Amino acid sequence: MSGSLDVFLARRWEDLVMLTLQHLAVVALSLAIATVLGVLIGLLVWDRNVPRTAALTAAGIAITIPSLALLALLSPVLGLGWAPTVVSLVFYSLLPIVRNTVVGLREVPAHLVESARGMGMTPVKTLLSIQLPLAWPVIVTGIRVAAQLTVGIAAIAAYVAGPGLGLYIFKGLSSLGSANALNFALTGTICVVLLALLIDGAFVLIARYSTSRGLRV
Amino acid sequence: MSEPGVGIELSHVTKLYAGQQQAAVEDFSLSVDPGELVMFVGPSGCGKTTTMKMINRIIEPSSGSITIDGQDVLSLDPNELRRHIGYVIQQIGLFPHMTIAENIATVPKLLGWSRERTNNRVDELLRTVQLDPAVFAHRYPKQLSGGQQQRVGVARALAADPPVMLMDEPFGATDPITRQKLQAEFLKLQADIGKTIIFVTHDFDEAVRLGDRIAVLGERSRIEQFDTPANILANPANDYVSSFIGHGAGLMRLALIPISDVELDAPDATAPAVDADSSLRDALDLLMVTGAERVNVSGGEGSLTHARISAALNKARHPVEAS
Amino acid sequence: MTALTEQRARLGLKRFGTPFAVVVVLAVLFLWLGSLTLDSIEERTLNTSYLVERTQEHLILTVASSALVALLAIPAGIAAYRVRSKAVRAFVIGLGNIGQATPAVGVVILLAIVWQTGFFTALISLVAYCFLPVLRNTLTGLEQVDQATREAARGMGMTPRQVLWRIELPLASPVILAGLRTALVFSVGVATIATFINAGGLGDMIVNGLKLQRYPVIVVGAVLVAAIAVLIDWAAGLVEDLVRPRGL
Ligand SMILES: Nc1ncnc2c1ncn2[C@@H]1O[C@H](COP(=O)(O)OP(=O)(O)OP(=O)(O)O)[C@@H](O)[C@H]1O
Ligand SMILES: [Mg+2]
Repeated sequence: MSGSLDVFLARRWEDLVMLTLQHLAVVALSLAIATVLGVLIGLLVWDRNVPRTAALTAAGIAITIPSLALLALLSPVLGLGWAPTVVSLVFYSLLPIVRNTVVGLREVPAHLVESARGMGMTPVKTLLSIQLPLAWPVIVTGIRVAAQLTVGIAAIAAYVAGPGLGLYIFKGLSSLGSANALNFALTGTICVVLLALLIDGAFVLIARYSTSRGLRV
Repeated sequence: MSEPGVGIELSHVTKLYAGQQQAAVEDFSLSVDPGELVMFVGPSGCGKTTTMKMINRIIEPSSGSITIDGQDVLSLDPNELRRHIGYVIQQIGLFPHMTIAENIATVPKLLGWSRERTNNRVDELLRTVQLDPAVFAHRYPKQLSGGQQQRVGVARALAADPPVMLMDEPFGATDPITRQKLQAEFLKLQADIGKTIIFVTHDFDEAVRLGDRIAVLGERSRIEQFDTPANILANPANDYVSSFIGHGAGLMRLALIPISDVELDAPDATAPAVDADSSLRDALDLLMVTGAERVNVSGGEGSLTHARISAALNKARHPVEAS
Repeated sequence: MTALTEQRARLGLKRFGTPFAVVVVLAVLFLWLGSLTLDSIEERTLNTSYLVERTQEHLILTVASSALVALLAIPAGIAAYRVRSKAVRAFVIGLGNIGQATPAVGVVILLAIVWQTGFFTALISLVAYCFLPVLRNTLTGLEQVDQATREAARGMGMTPRQVLWRIELPLASPVILAGLRTALVFSVGVATIATFINAGGLGDMIVNGLKLQRYPVIVVGAVLVAAIAVLIDWAAGLVEDLVRPRGL
C-alpha cells in the first residue's frame, strides 16, 4: 500500500530532526514569553478581587476559542510563519500560567507574609523572596500544562506555515492517496507525541530542581 | 555583648478597624520599663494581638502615640523600624523554602551585614537556643520538631540583637511538656540578654511564670490590672481579674515565693528534704506526697510545716502592711 | 440585605455576562458585514443559508461526538473503577497521558488517510480524541470519593451497586461533568479541523477565506466558531452548577 517506513525514515531523518527542533523551539519561545507575561499579570491581579476575576474570566473564555480560528484571524495581520504561531501559542498559554500564579500566590500562608513584613521586608522584597518562591511549584505546574497544550496547537499552526512537525502531518493530508501519505502523517504525529512526553518529563525535572528542597514533599 | 532593652510608651492608643462600629483597642496607655518582660493576658478577641502589632505597625493605630526609647514610631519608616524589633508569632512563620541558617539570617541580610558577621551570629544564636549549628543550620523547617521550630523562631527574632521583642503566643502551639521546657529556657535567656519584651498569652499560668509584670486585659484591650504577678495574685483588682485567675491562685502564688523568703523552724534531719532554692509550692508538694508533718530544707538551715507555708502565703496577701 | 442583592447581581453578571458579550460581538460582526460591499466570491459564502448550514454541521458534529463520548467513556470509566485493579488503572492513566500528548490534527488526518474522508471519519476521530480525558476524569472522580463515606454507606447495608448509584456517582459527578465540559469545548475546536477532511463545519469558511484571501470570510467563520465555543462552555458551566449535588 505505501512506501515502507524504514526507507522513508532513512531518507528524511535529518529533515525530521530539524522539524522536531523547530517545534521545540517555537514551543520554548512561546512558553518563555507566556511565563513572563503570565506571571506578571498574575502578580498584578492576584490580591485584587475585580481585576483577578476579570483576568481569569477573560483567560478562561479565550482558551475555548478554537486554535484554527485564532490562527486564521492572526494571519492577515501578522502574515504567515513564526509570528502568528508564537502569538497564538502565548495566547493559549496565558490561562494556565496566570491561573496558577494567582492560586499559588493566594495559597502562601498569610502568617508567612506577616512574618516577613514584621521583620522589616519591603512589600517588593517580600514578594520576590517569600511569596514568589513559595508559589513557584504551583506556577511551574501551570507552565507544564501550557506546554502540553502548545505542543499540540503548534502542530495546527503548520497550516499558516508555522514551524515544526505539523508540516509532515499536513503533507500527509495533501499527498492523500500517494504512497507516502501515511508515512508523513504518522511520523509527524508520533514525533509530536514523543516530544510532548519528553517535554512533560523535562518539566518534572525542572520543577524538582527549581524548587527549594524545603518545599519538596 | 547584647544590646539592653529600651522603654516603650503607649499613650491613648485606639484602633478602630475599617467597617466596624466598636474599637478593637480603646484608649490604651501603658509604659514598659527598659529590660522589662511584660505579659498581655486576656480572653480571646480582647485585642491583645492588635495592641501588640501596633507597636511594630503591622497594624496602624487609628489615634494615639507610641514611642520606643523616646522615639515616635509613627514618624519612622515602618520597614526600618521593624528591622530593630524582634517579632515572633504563634504560627512561628519560619520560611519553608529557606534553611534554618537562612531564616535566622533574614534580618541581618536586610541590614546589610557582612557574610562572616552573619554566619557567626547564626551559629551563636543556634547555640543560644540549644540547637547544634552543625546539625541544624542547613536543615529546612519541615525537618525540625515543633519545639525546635519555636526555638528557631526565637533565634530569628533575636538575630539583629533588637532592643525590643514582640512575641504573640510564641509557645502556643506546643504540648505542655515542651512548653514548660521552652519557658524555662526562655527565662534563662532573658536573664542574660535583658530585652524589653511584650509577650502575649491567654494562659495565666504562663504569664505568672514568665512575666515581670502582667497586664490583664478586658474587652477592647481595657487594662483591668497592671502589676507584678505576686501582687495580682495576692490582690486582684476586681472580680474580672479574680475570675480570670480562676482556681489555684494560692498554688500559683506559692510557686512565686522562694523558701529563702520564709522564716524556718529548727532543722529536722528525719524529715524529707527539699532544695533550699525551690519555691514554697515545691515544699508543699513534698508535704502532700510524703504525708510527712514537716520537710527539712537541705543545707540544714531549718524546716517547714503546713502552718508555716500558710502563714507565708497570708503575709504575702498584704505585702504593703507587712513591709 | 444589600450585600445579598449585590451578590445576586454579581452572580447574574457571571451567569449572563458571557452570552451578553457574545451577542454584542455577533451584533458588531453583522453590522460590520452589512457595511461591506462583497464581491462574488464572498457572496457565495457570506449568505444566510450557507452560514446556517455550516453552523448546523458544526453543532451536529460537536454534540453528536460529545454524546457518544458520554455514552461510551463514562461507563468505561465506571467499569475501570469497579475492577479495582492497579494494572487497569495504570493502563488507563498512562493511555490518558499519551492521549493528551497526541495532537488532534494528527488523529483527524491519520484516520482520513487510513480510512476515508468525510463526516463519519471526523465523528469517529472526535470521539477517539475526547474519549480518554472523560474516561480518566470518571475514574479519578470516583476514586476521590472519601473512603469513610463509602464505608459508612456499606455499613448501613447498601449493596455495592447502591453505593455506586447513590453515593459514589453523585459525589464524583462534579469531576465527571468537568471532564465532559472539557470534551465539549475540545470538540468545537477539533470540529473546526474537520474541514481538512471534507467534513464541513465552520472550518470550511476559515480555510476558504485563507485560501482565497478573503478577510471577511475568515473573520465571520472564526468569530462564529469562537462564539459557539464560548457559548457551549458557558452552557456546560450552567448545567454543571445545576446538576451538582447540593452541599458540594
Ligand atoms: N484585620 C482585622 N480586621 C477587622 N477586625 C479585626 C482584625 N483583626 C482583629 N480584629 C478584631 O479585633 C478584635 C481583637 O482581635 P485580636 O486579634 O487583637 O484579639 P486577641 O486578643 O489577640 O485574641 P486571641 O487570643 O484569640 O488571639 C476582635 O474582635 C477581632 O475580631
Ligand atoms: Mg491574638
